[in-house]
Amino acid sequence: MNRTSINPGSVEWCGENSCICLKQGKRDSALALLYRVVLSPHGRGCGCIVLGAPDDGAGWPQAPNLLLADNQPLMRWVVDGWVSRMQQFRNLAGFGHMTWLDLDSSVRIPGAGGLRHAETLRGPGVEVELNWWNLGMPVPVEAGREHSGTGRHEMYSVFVEAGKASVLINGTELSGSVANRKMFGRTMKSAFLALSQTWVALPSGEV
Amino acid sequence: MPLSDPITPGRIDWTGENPGILLKGPDGGFSAMSLFFRVSWSPVGAGQLLLLYGDLNDADGGISAPNLLMGDNDRLAGFLMQEFIGRLAAFRDAPPFAQLEFRLARSIRSSGDPMGGRYTETVSGDGLAVELVWEDLEPPKALELVPEQTGTKRHVMFTVLVPAKRAKIMVNGRRLPGEVGTRVQAGMETTTAFLYFSETWIIPDAGQ
Repeated sequence: MNRTSINPGSVEWCGENSCICLKQGKRDSALALLYRVVLSPHGRGCGCIVLGAPDDGAGWPQAPNLLLADNQPLMRWVVDGWVSRMQQFRNLAGFGHMTWLDLDSSVRIPGAGGLRHAETLRGPGVEVELNWWNLGMPVPVEAGREHSGTGRHEMYSVFVEAGKASVLINGTELSGSVANRKMFGRTMKSAFLALSQTWVALPSGEV
Repeated sequence: MPLSDPITPGRIDWTGENPGILLKGPDGGFSAMSLFFRVSWSPVGAGQLLLLYGDLNDADGGISAPNLLMGDNDRLAGFLMQEFIGRLAAFRDAPPFAQLEFRLARSIRSSGDPMGGRYTETVSGDGLAVELVWEDLEPPKALELVPEQTGTKRHVMFTVLVPAKRAKIMVNGRRLPGEVGTRVQAGMETTTAFLYFSETWIIPDAGQ
């Protein structure tokens, strides 16, 4: 094993970045990203993106496309630096038109015995509930820039895949089911918890 | 830096946050020791736990300098004591270790900004309020340690270290004696007050 004990890059942020991608056939019918950032240049914060109508160029309340955040500058930085670089998000009409709302409260029910992990986030006139069921064993990931998604970071995380998941907005469940997809060179579920995630920017000259 | 395969071989023991403050007395020995755990995954679930040795010379400690184990998940406390804390010589070999009994916390909260000037963890319950305060924080560093570099000597460990140049342990508003000292981790001189985020402990596959 050949490791560098002290990474020469700079830590950009740490926290959690869990995901639910529901599919109907080959189409992404609903997408949700949850961020719980514990260390960043913009402080700490919690936020989520929900695209219940990914192909609809409208935001909440006309369409179920919204972002909730208790630290809007932090979430703007995350959206610009990470989410907008994800192929799965950047070309979606709903992503460009989602409504930005303040997060008033969040409640976390961590998975016990691998059965269910749940997160509930509330903003003005809207409640988002995210559920992950049938949780698998945690998988440690250390991705170089070729696998990290941004092309300029190394990423460390613990992934816990979910066999089943749901996204609800004000009690209405979004359509679609968990599917399989290729990640990190293996087949993984399209719904997962991503815990203890760290993004390290490579030193200049290494990108 | 990552290995070529993005999936790390091995079994995750636990993952979460693990900050601590080890205060030294005038003789250079430890005068008070604390570790805090915010675990997001373990085989016995998630939870939070404070370990405090307020008085290293007295197995029971006292009201003003207690030795205590307080958190929100007793199974997690048992798991960490047996599989993790009990493998750290500095904690296992201290007189209070064998006497610790789990107490249920009434509230646990963090405040401040680990990339700002100050960060705290406060745990209260059973008539006690313990506040861990880290100040004068250095920039974060990502570490990847092999077993011989870790305290347990049996894990691969990933973490983000934020060293603090100043720190204090407050018990019911009174500061425990001692000062932050220095230590060496992975060949790097650092301090005995530290925040650790995104920390993952992995038991390597046999033969690794």
